[in-house]
Amino acid sequence: MATAQPTSAPQLQRGVEPLRAAEGSSFLWRKLHSLLGILPLGAFLLEHLLSNFEALKGPLAYGQQVYFLNHLPLVRVLEWVFIFLPLLYHAVYGVSIWLRGKSNVVYYPWAGNWMYTLQRYTGLIAFAYLIQHLWRERFTGVMLPENPYYAFHKVQMELANPWMLAIYVVAMIAICWHFSYGVWLFAAKWGITPGVTARRRFGYVCIALGLLLAVAGLASIYAFVGPLYPNAPVPNL
Amino acid sequence: MAERTVVFEIKRQASPDAPSVWERFELPWRPGMNVISAMMEIAGNPVTCEGHCTTPVAYDSNCLEEICGSCAMRINGKARMACSSLVDNLEQPIRVEPLSKFPLVRDLQVDRSVLFENLKKVKAWVPIDGTYDLGSGPRLTPQEQEANYPLSNCISCTCCMEVCPQFNVETGFVGAATIAQVKLFNNHPTGKVFKEERLRALSGDGGIQECGYAQNCVQACPKQLPLTSAISDVGREVVVQKVKDWLKS
Ligand code: SF4
Ligand code: SF4
Ligand code: FES
Repeated sequence: MATAQPTSAPQLQRGVEPLRAAEGSSFLWRKLHSLLGILPLGAFLLEHLLSNFEALKGPLAYGQQVYFLNHLPLVRVLEWVFIFLPLLYHAVYGVSIWLRGKSNVVYYPWAGNWMYTLQRYTGLIAFAYLIQHLWRERFTGVMLPENPYYAFHKVQMELANPWMLAIYVVAMIAICWHFSYGVWLFAAKWGITPGVTARRRFGYVCIALGLLLAVAGLASIYAFVGPLYPNAPVPNL
Repeated sequence: MAERTVVFEIKRQASPDAPSVWERFELPWRPGMNVISAMMEIAGNPVTCEGHCTTPVAYDSNCLEEICGSCAMRINGKARMACSSLVDNLEQPIRVEPLSKFPLVRDLQVDRSVLFENLKKVKAWVPIDGTYDLGSGPRLTPQEQEANYPLSNCISCTCCMEVCPQFNVETGFVGAATIAQVKLFNNHPTGKVFKEERLRALSGDGGIQECGYAQNCVQACPKQLPLTSAISDVGREVVVQKVKDWLKS
């Protein structure tokens, strides 16, 4: 028996169970996850990136934007209902989707499969980043809702740390990637682009969207760390 | 001049609970040989490279022309049909393994009945049984035939399920083939009486929502079914059906 090299221990393999036709509620939860990614989270991402862009106009303009947002009617309710709760759901359910998928891009290194895998990892990066981002910028330190004109200074101090700057750059790219491919996936899975050509064309649109957002996002990071407004003063209010 | 040969490495497992072993075989090359014909040759003289006498390899096959769907296995790591895998197009040694996501029966034979169960769950048929002669059905226009023909090409090989990252014991996902058949039978003028039932079935746990749109299925399908387009179309119809059901409840 020179050739018989056991390669694995005996194990009985369980098969995949058949469809539980019309049973359970995972359809609703999965579709909710998908929808929330576009509305309100995608919409909020656009708003946030546009607001950040104000930083290029300087500390005052940036402060005014933060002031404006924090004086929207019912702003705290809006914040929880349209940002924090959907974000929490999207993130936690997303992690469970990631855990239940079995990536096989090693065996099948095809473009769609890479994108499938990247969508999961960019999501994880976004989740980890957002925990620290919210903790450090929203819930601790100088409270920006009450002191909107401190915003520029606060972000500038944060980004003065080169590690933090690197984290912001990586997260910015990952989030723009996750969102723009998410838009493409949404259109494909909800049957908005059922045709192969339509999916390809919409793919170009999503690439353009992702690039635009990433460039805009990185430009606003540059506003804080570049030579435009060094050592932005803390306002005397 | 030395005879030209081909080398195979085949993963063997005598029974579902036996340990698996790799065996190596070397056989004379013949023009046009494929993985199934090579295994027939091995069966004629089941001796490994090391001169050890073994049993013929167990595998499923029937038509030998990529139409019965029974010979799917992993060849050099990728799921494909063994009968249409020409040895000349494969890198050697040719490594052959059973599909990984179905209960193993023996060697390269696996139990793929889950696809049959899934097709039953979505009623993938045209209902014509009754107590009296229903007469001839409505005519299909050439345009409808044209649209449905590609979907009717499915040979139930399960390659699309094997390569799908979402098809696993965790999700219990139904897989692309069944979704494509829902589209086919919903398009049929008589088959569509079950349209709503099929769509509701696909919204159950393990249904269409589990697809992560990795698009492996459409790459791997030996019959080039338009699987991702079917998933898109059926996905939209399932959403519309669920919203209708919800509003009417
Ligand atoms: S698109 Fe991807 S996730 Fe969906 S069925 Fe095909 S292989 Fe599976
Ligand atoms: S859809 Fe293609 S890969 Fe899937 S079972 Fe049918 S023929 Fe095979
Ligand atoms: S033997 Fe029928 S498909 Fe290969």
